[in-house]
Formats: sequence, C-alpha cells, structure tokens
Amino acid sequence: MPVESTLSNSGNTVTIGISGQFDFEIVQEFRAAYSDHKNADYIIDMRATEHMDSSALGMLLNMRKSLGDKTRISIINCRPQIKKILTISRFDKKFEIE
Amino acid sequence: MKILVVDDTEANRKLLAWMLEDDGHEVIEAEDGRQAVTLFAEYAPDLVLMDVMMPVMDGFEATKAIKEQLQGQHVPIIFLTALSDDASLTKCLSIGGDDFLSKPINEQVLQAKIKAHTRIKDLNEQLSRQNIELTRLHQYTLREQEIAKSVFEKALAASIFDSRNTRHYMSPAATFNGDLLLVSISPSGGLYALMADFTGHGLPAAIGALPVSHAFLEAAQQGASVSSIAREVNKTLEKFLPDDMFAAAAIAELNADGTRLTLWLGGLPDALLTDARGALKQRIVSTHMPLGILEDQEFEREPEIIEVARGDRLYLYTDGIPEARNPAGEMYGDQRLLQHFDGGSEDTFGAIIADVTGYSGGSHQQDDITLLELSCMPVQPLPGAAANTPRSAPNLPWTLTMELGIDELRKRVSPVSQIVDMIGMAPGVEPHKDYLHTILAELFANALEHGVLGLDSRLKQTEEGYLAYYREREQRLATLEQGQLGIQVSFRAAGDQGHLTLSLHDSGPGFDWQRPSSAGDDAAFGRGMALIDILCDKVTYSAGGTRVDAEYSLRD
Repeated sequence: MPVESTLSNSGNTVTIGISGQFDFEIVQEFRAAYSDHKNADYIIDMRATEHMDSSALGMLLNMRKSLGDKTRISIINCRPQIKKILTISRFDKKFEIE
Repeated sequence: MKILVVDDTEANRKLLAWMLEDDGHEVIEAEDGRQAVTLFAEYAPDLVLMDVMMPVMDGFEATKAIKEQLQGQHVPIIFLTALSDDASLTKCLSIGGDDFLSKPINEQVLQAKIKAHTRIKDLNEQLSRQNIELTRLHQYTLREQEIAKSVFEKALAASIFDSRNTRHYMSPAATFNGDLLLVSISPSGGLYALMADFTGHGLPAAIGALPVSHAFLEAAQQGASVSSIAREVNKTLEKFLPDDMFAAAAIAELNADGTRLTLWLGGLPDALLTDARGALKQRIVSTHMPLGILEDQEFEREPEIIEVARGDRLYLYTDGIPEARNPAGEMYGDQRLLQHFDGGSEDTFGAIIADVTGYSGGSHQQDDITLLELSCMPVQPLPGAAANTPRSAPNLPWTLTMELGIDELRKRVSPVSQIVDMIGMAPGVEPHKDYLHTILAELFANALEHGVLGLDSRLKQTEEGYLAYYREREQRLATLEQGQLGIQVSFRAAGDQGHLTLSLHDSGPGFDWQRPSSAGDDAAFGRGMALIDILCDKVTYSAGGTRVDAEYSLRD
C-alpha cells in the first residue's frame, strides 16, 4: 500500500505514511486517508517517500484546505531532497516540517 | 580370558592352571615377580593371580611395577596368600592389589572371584570408553559453539554501535546471548533501535537473532516506520520460531532532529524517560504482546509517539536487570532501579550497571542483561556514511535520447524513473538522482499534460477540480490518437564540473509559459514550473512552448 494510515493508541493522532512515489497516482488514496478522521492531529510520515512532485504539493494543500487552518499537520522524516522541495515551495508556512 | 599365574612353586601353578584351563581360560605362568612383569608386558593378560612370597622379586614389588605399566587402565590383580594377619592383607590391597585368595585355593571361590572381577573390568572398560566418547563430544560441541559464536558476532557486530545518541551494556548469562540489540540509521537521518529478549537463553534463544536482525536492518534501510518494523519482525519470528518461542521486544525511533520518539513495546519491562537531569518524566508501559506470537492479521502495531525535549533520555532494558538476584536469592526489583531516576545521579547509565553488578555480588548470573540509553538530540550521522561517493572526474560528453510515440504515451508509463536510473550510472550523477528525478518528472508532466494533452492547470483550483483534472488527464490519454514526446539528456564537462541539459519537446500546440505560473502560496496548481526554476540553473522555453531546455550543474 503506497498510502497507509495508522491511528495512535490515544486515538487523536493519525499518521499517514506514504511510500515510493508521492504523485497524482495516489490522489484518491491520499484523500481517503484524511477524510475519515476530522478531529485529529495529522502526521504525514515521509520516511519511505522516495520522490514527490508538484502534484503532491497540490494534494497537501487540498488537505490543508479540507481540514481547515486549525488542524495540526506535521510532515516528518523527509529525505533531504523532499525537504528542499517543501522548503522552496514555502510549505513551512502551512505545515510543521521537521 | 587370558590369566597370568605367578607362583614360585610349580605344583601350585600347575594346580591353578588345571583349574583355570578346565573353565576355558588361557594361562600364562611366571616363576617369580620379575618374570611376571616381563610376561605381563608381553601377553597383556586380562587378570593376574599373584603369589606374595617369591624369590628375585616378591608379589608386592611386581604388583607395583605392573600397575605402573597400566597407567590407570584396569587389570585386576588377585593375591594368593597363606598369610592371614590383617596387616598383610591390608598391605596387599594398599599397594594396588584388587583382592586376595587364601591358600589352599578353593576352586569355587576362585571361579566366583574371577567372575566378579571380570564384571568390574567390563564396567571399567565401558566407563573409560564412554569417557573418551564424552571428551570427544565435548570438544566437538565447544568447537561448534565457537564457530556459531563467531558467526553471530560477525553478523551482529556491525549493528551495535555507540554514538552521541546511544550507550549500551550487554551481559549474556551463557556463551550465547538470548538478548539482542540492534541500532541503525534511517534514510531520513533518524535512528532506530531494537531490543529483544528471546524466551530462554543460550544457543536456542540466540538463534532467533539472525532472522530478526535481517528483517530489522532491511526494514531500517528502507526507512520503514516503527509499526511496520514491528510487523515485519513479528512476521519473521512467527515464521521461523517454534510456537513456544517468542521475543519480548522494544522498537524505538528517534527522528533526525531528536525531537520525537516513536516507541513500540511488547512484553519488555517499562521503558523509562528522563529529562536532561535524569529525573523520571514518564514510564512507558508495554501495551503489546511479545513478537512472534500473534499472526499477522491479529498483530497490533500501534506505537506510542512522544514529543521529547533536547537532552531527554530513554532507557530500555531487559528483565535481566529487575530480576537479577543477590547471593541470598533476592531480586533486584523495580524499586531499586527507580532510585536511579530521581535526578540525583550524574551518570544514570553507569550507576545502574555498577549497582546491578554489585548487587549480584558474583553470584551466578541467571538471565541475559541488556541496557540501552538513548539520548534525545539531533542524530549524529554514521562516520563515513557520506564519504563513500567515488570522486572520479566526469569529463567525457554523452547524450541519451528517448522518443515516445503514441503507443508508448498511451501505456501511461512514466519514463522518468528509467531515465534517471540510466543517467545515474554515469560518473558524478548518482548524488543528484533525486533532484533530477523531480526536475524530469515536472518537465515530463508539463510536456504531456499541457503540451500533448492540452490540459489547463487552472482546472486544479478547487479540490473537486483537482480530481477532475486528473480524471480528464486519464480520459484524454485513453482516447489520444496522435502525439509525440522526445526527451534528451546531454552531459558536458566544463573544468571540474559537469553540466546536464535536459531537453523535452512535444507535438502539442504549445503552451503559454509566460503566464504567471502560480496564483499565490495557497494555489494547488502551478507549482511545477517554479520548482524547476529553482532547482535548475537556467530554463528556456522555445518553439512556441513546445520545447524546453533545462540546465543543471552537478555541484558537490
């Protein structure tokens, strides 16, 4: 599964792991991963994400719009090149990026 | 049986020989002690009947000499004696004789004694045969253990190291350790640790270490999450171990910044988290079953996620610590352990080990002991991890061309990964593969979607539109009747540095590259071109927007 979401033990943090390519091929699955839990904090775990493209940036922004600005969304464990893409796209304004 | 009869009186010898031969024994006769010693060496008899008083050498002397020859091997010597005082009889036995017979010899007593001594001799021989066999087996086992131990040590040595973030202590109760500790760095720069305590100890417990370390290191290399690692290791153990064997385990991950711990605990004692001073902040209780029990579909992999402050420390340990016993058989216990977590200790790690070792006071260690201290601070990269990229001078020019026609385009297969893998093999390109992948993917998406398919990215303004855009993309691709897309990557060297030119041209009507590419930070579209601009040195659109050339430098 390229998109895998896990609910934490306490039930208020959803971790969405994305493996392989983060691009439009997984647009439906990605949307489904955050549609089920509305009142939770989100962690997008990019440890296994090998590449992302601009369509993935769009998908992240759609997630932000759909959940509202108050929801906490962190993007964690980015490989350096993915972090650079997020940084140069100024995604740190909308997401907590580690 | 071969029997040596020693007597200076011929009549006595003959009488004995007659009785013995009658019973089917072979008899050798000696006239005195000296002759007896010589004949004994020559014929190696199974039993000796020895007179005491003889000329030249008496029975005592001869017995001593014969027993010396035997060097611990057992051949019974029975004294034939007319003496009946206790002192003489005692002497017979004390110098190495095995029994005595009173003269005159009674045939039935003689037969009974020979039988009894044959039994003893047989038992002795059996014992010494078994002894030899046991010694051989023991040496064999030792040798096997040595080989196995060296294999284990080599297989696991590379996976345990101490860095700025970790300190560890391991003390096995037997030659083989039933505890396992593995530490690895993740691709995103974080640190993974796995501690496992297999049921039992010694070799059977240690056997599980090999498949576990294999599964763990492979998952770590792929950057798998703690819950995926737990699941993988569980699957591996379930597959390899017999039903009654399993492993209590902890799997921890510290992110690259050292600000977050992710922890899966199954069956190990409480993990302890302290602040920078060493005062207990949190006890993390194991909420899962040990690894290797549940089948994959019932397996619970939910981890604990803990935000930590710089300098916080996590302590993981096996039950060998709380269950360590002193010479009186009392257990060390949780309370003694927790005393080290009141913030008063300068070196909690060292203090625990010293205390537990002192407590056991040299009594036999019952269980394997393992302790890991994980310090929460930015993860120190492995020494030499970045130093293994070869620095050969890339200076021969090359070009790679790929032309995609209608058939290839309709297959919906992106050529980007293949191209990047191919050019990644050229000298100097490997470290840039990931950026090149991003650039090529954007260029390809633009050429295909805006060029060949003529899609307008303004459709992506809303979430619904976003989905509509990609549905439309699918549909146009499926019904596409003509189209072409060419990709060319050229390399040239200027001085020490290599330059790549990525050129794409397509058969579409061209698109307006001068339109403002993004509608602000929030727009879910138009980010691709901006990304290309930043990652490349120079991007040129030409031929009415049907051709793009992007320059990229292979900087270190």
